[in-house]
Amino acid sequence: MTAWIDGQAVERDEAVAAAAALLAGAHSPVIAGLCAEAAAVQAAFDLARAIGASLDPASGAALYADLGALAAGGAMATTPAEARGRADLVLALGAAPWTSGLLPDLAVDGPVRGRAAGRPRTLLALGAPGDGALQHVAYPAGESGLPADIGLLRGLVAGRIAGPHPLADLATRLRDALYGVIVYDPAETGALGAEMLNGLVKDLNETTRCFALPLGDSHQGRAVAQVAAWSTGQGPRVGFGRGFPEHDPWRFDAARQVEAGEVDAALWLAPLPAALPSWTRTVPTVALLGAPKGDEAQVVIGVGVPGEAFGAALWHPRRAAIAWHEATAPQSEAHPAAAILADLQARLSSPAKHPAKNPERSASC
Amino acid sequence: MSTLTLRQAPERLDLAGLTPAALAGLSEAEAARLGVGTGRRGLTLGDCFTIALDGSDELRIVGATDRLDRVGAGLSRGRIVVEGDVGQHLGAGMTGGTLTVSGSAGPFAGTAAKGGTIRIAGDAAESAGGAVHGAEVGLDGATLVIGGRAAERLGDRMRGGLILAKAAGAHTGSRMIAGTIVAEEIGDHPGYGMRRGTLVAARHGALLPTFVETGRQDLVVLKLLATSLKDLAPEAAALLRAPMRRYGGDLATLGKGELFTRVG
Repeated sequence: MTAWIDGQAVERDEAVAAAAALLAGAHSPVIAGLCAEAAAVQAAFDLARAIGASLDPASGAALYADLGALAAGGAMATTPAEARGRADLVLALGAAPWTSGLLPDLAVDGPVRGRAAGRPRTLLALGAPGDGALQHVAYPAGESGLPADIGLLRGLVAGRIAGPHPLADLATRLRDALYGVIVYDPAETGALGAEMLNGLVKDLNETTRCFALPLGDSHQGRAVAQVAAWSTGQGPRVGFGRGFPEHDPWRFDAARQVEAGEVDAALWLAPLPAALPSWTRTVPTVALLGAPKGDEAQVVIGVGVPGEAFGAALWHPRRAAIAWHEATAPQSEAHPAAAILADLQARLSSPAKHPAKNPERSASC
Repeated sequence: MSTLTLRQAPERLDLAGLTPAALAGLSEAEAARLGVGTGRRGLTLGDCFTIALDGSDELRIVGATDRLDRVGAGLSRGRIVVEGDVGQHLGAGMTGGTLTVSGSAGPFAGTAAKGGTIRIAGDAAESAGGAVHGAEVGLDGATLVIGGRAAERLGDRMRGGLILAKAAGAHTGSRMIAGTIVAEEIGDHPGYGMRRGTLVAARHGALLPTFVETGRQDLVVLKLLATSLKDLAPEAAALLRAPMRRYGGDLATLGKGELFTRVG
């Protein structure tokens, strides 16, 4: 069995019908998680538009730390592949880059393309001790935390802070590099730190080349951001309650909405692994899960794991793009989440009370 | 005085544009049809409020809760008095008039407000006087007075105006472009990324390494500011008359901002 209602195994059709009934009566539904292939995320946006729901990806907090900085001041970013081909200096900020699997790739060889081709590549660390197995130079972290260190480095690079300083040598190395890359995790730097980092990168580009390389999250957040952009022109935290996409990162934070008692039904979409929030058992919820146990929510429906049971478009961290992933263990009865979401949308096809007169209209926060 | 008395808020309600001037030309029946809902129900003002209009330039909102968003947004003249709490974006984009709240406010109070005065008797959530996602500026010329505690990022990316608060959390004045913030106490790392602007606090948390002390200052401008504030906020005025130590920052960015704090 791959479907459950109130923890009791049922036929799939029965569970889908129960899911439709649960969502049909909702005034303020939320579709959260979105840890899924691009087709399912797209189907989730289509369903949300049809039933007036809001959306929030599991990666919301980390994703918005970077999206906030991007929206506020822009970014000059690169991809792992470009960093490997062109960078003569890589600065790893904080602890996250050392567990991402990216740095060993960058440590094996030097730049082969562009203005730094033929030079050795230097690996530097700030804000965390780094990995002893990889040759690198570690700079001392200040007591004030990573965002303060980024600001300090920016002041040193621009020459606004002068004199001997433990990070002065790092600032000189960044200025002297022909193609620098700064690797960071926006979840670790926070929104202010990410914005400061992008400012540092822009300052460096006055005289040389330097790029930010944000690490993606493990919950398809970067792919969700792209689907949201092409579907609504905005970030992922949008609501269709008024019939048009309103973007509001604070209001449509699913955890906040649940805590404030604003949600009366939810759909948790996680064909790929994602930590289940506690509210799926307290709010009437439909859970579409790749590895269900059956008791995660009021209605649970097992779905195929994208990239495993069937081929799917997923985030490719090394290419920093949505890319096709072949099935690694194909199943003919895979039941993609996108098909179930489309089925739900068909069953809930009666339009919202106030359907959009102009679906292109939007309102940002 | 016109009065809106909240009967129910089954979802977040959007009160943007509900100003004395906008309501002055409407009958109560017309006002009752104004949409305020944010969900699928299509709630109207009449669904949620008991409405009593007299065409005056003063509007009272009674029984308010933190589900009321954008209260006083777009206010240009007149007065709105809120009895209770409010949600996010209080007085967003207002250009004039007076807005008072007897309780506390949600995030982004006074965002992009160019003129007028906002008074919050209680606390304010994060980014009061701050910029919303992707916005160029936060408070932009208005006056924001917070009787209680403001959460983190008070005055984030503000471009002009004045914020007075009893206390504020971390990152007060972050990304500030210009303007003035005066508080009895502020949290760690004030002025992160500030370009210009003035922070004044009797007590503060940890300072950033990109702020440098520039000595003890006895500036006429602070005395003038104290004089101008003595009616609005006597405690803030008293603070500004005390001997001050000055820090310059944030040297991570332009570095033309300043933090004044009481000597000793």
